Amino acid sequence: MKLAVFVNQYDEPAILDRLKADKFGIILVQNGVYHAAVKQNGQSSAILSKDAEFYALQEDLESRGFGSAELDPKVKVINYEGLVDLIFNDYEKFLWL
Amino acid sequence: MAIKKLAFIVDKLPYKAETSRLAFTHAIASQTVEIYLEDGDNVEPVIALVGDGVLNAVKDQKALDIYGVTSLEMHMKNALLLDLRVLVCKEDMDRLGLSEDNIVMDAEEIGGELTTQIVPFEEIMKEMETADHLLYF
Amino acid sequence: MGKLTIGCFSSLVGSMTLDFAVKLAETAVKKGHEVDLWLSGNGVMLGKTRQSKFRDYSYLAGTVQELIKTGKFQICNCEACAKARGIDKEDTMEGVLIHSMDWYLASAFGADRVLHIGGE
Repeated sequence: MKLAVFVNQYDEPAILDRLKADKFGIILVQNGVYHAAVKQNGQSSAILSKDAEFYALQEDLESRGFGSAELDPKVKVINYEGLVDLIFNDYEKFLWL
Repeated sequence: MAIKKLAFIVDKLPYKAETSRLAFTHAIASQTVEIYLEDGDNVEPVIALVGDGVLNAVKDQKALDIYGVTSLEMHMKNALLLDLRVLVCKEDMDRLGLSEDNIVMDAEEIGGELTTQIVPFEEIMKEMETADHLLYF
Repeated sequence: MGKLTIGCFSSLVGSMTLDFAVKLAETAVKKGHEVDLWLSGNGVMLGKTRQSKFRDYSYLAGTVQELIKTGKFQICNCEACAKARGIDKEDTMEGVLIHSMDWYLASAFGADRVLHIGGE
């Protein structure tokens, strides 16, 4: 299945490691964008080491004072339009964690 | 004629938020969804408790007596009474020290025939794969 | 074009999750899709009438009203969740439907995509 999970908090949802999908996306929204924008003690967020496609919502990054230039290179920045396209074209099922 | 499968996956603890309660009540609403659909169409729900969500299944909850709200135990028994499949993740039960003796396994006393299924997470993943839509609570 | 069903149970002010849901709905409708938004739990606050527009608080009522006018957007309050919070028909914004939980399941039945956003 093509599964995308929305991570909306700046912590690691326990279920993340247990999910399996043919195509797996992690969409960082709300406080989840901090995973893409912030390093703790110089270390990237552990979430970014998962085997997934990563996306971060531009509007939530910018609301929090971050631009694309500061992001981990693994993460693709998308806006709401891009998110709608992801939902209808790239993934089939969704979990809001 | 189409049957769409909806997987209700619960990983939140009970009572601090109404999330898990709403998962059960929404799944149970499948009993009347036909009024909105074409003849022969229906929804098939399955409820899966994972993570800390397995604690919703603990027996002898006294929320009704103490706080005047229906307990998650009551909702789970209603679900079983109405023949909704309720799955509980075995690995999370083991992690939290729960066994069949601690959780709601049936609703026999109110006439229910289905029993709770304690299954490996792998089985719950399969339910998610075969579901048409996922509702993660 | 397709149909997206969103279920959002988060309260109107605080988490900004309803802001996300409404903005996603708005964007999807602008791109030609249909959207159903089901509100249950604390999410029913969005359906309440007489919301004031202050900058320190999420104000979504205006956007919701514009979306309803497009004819491609339906928004529905959970009747029981609303009544439990003192929100009756006369307290509900014009254009916001009021139904029981089976409405959401029926909406999901007919949707191409479902995004369930639980509550806090």
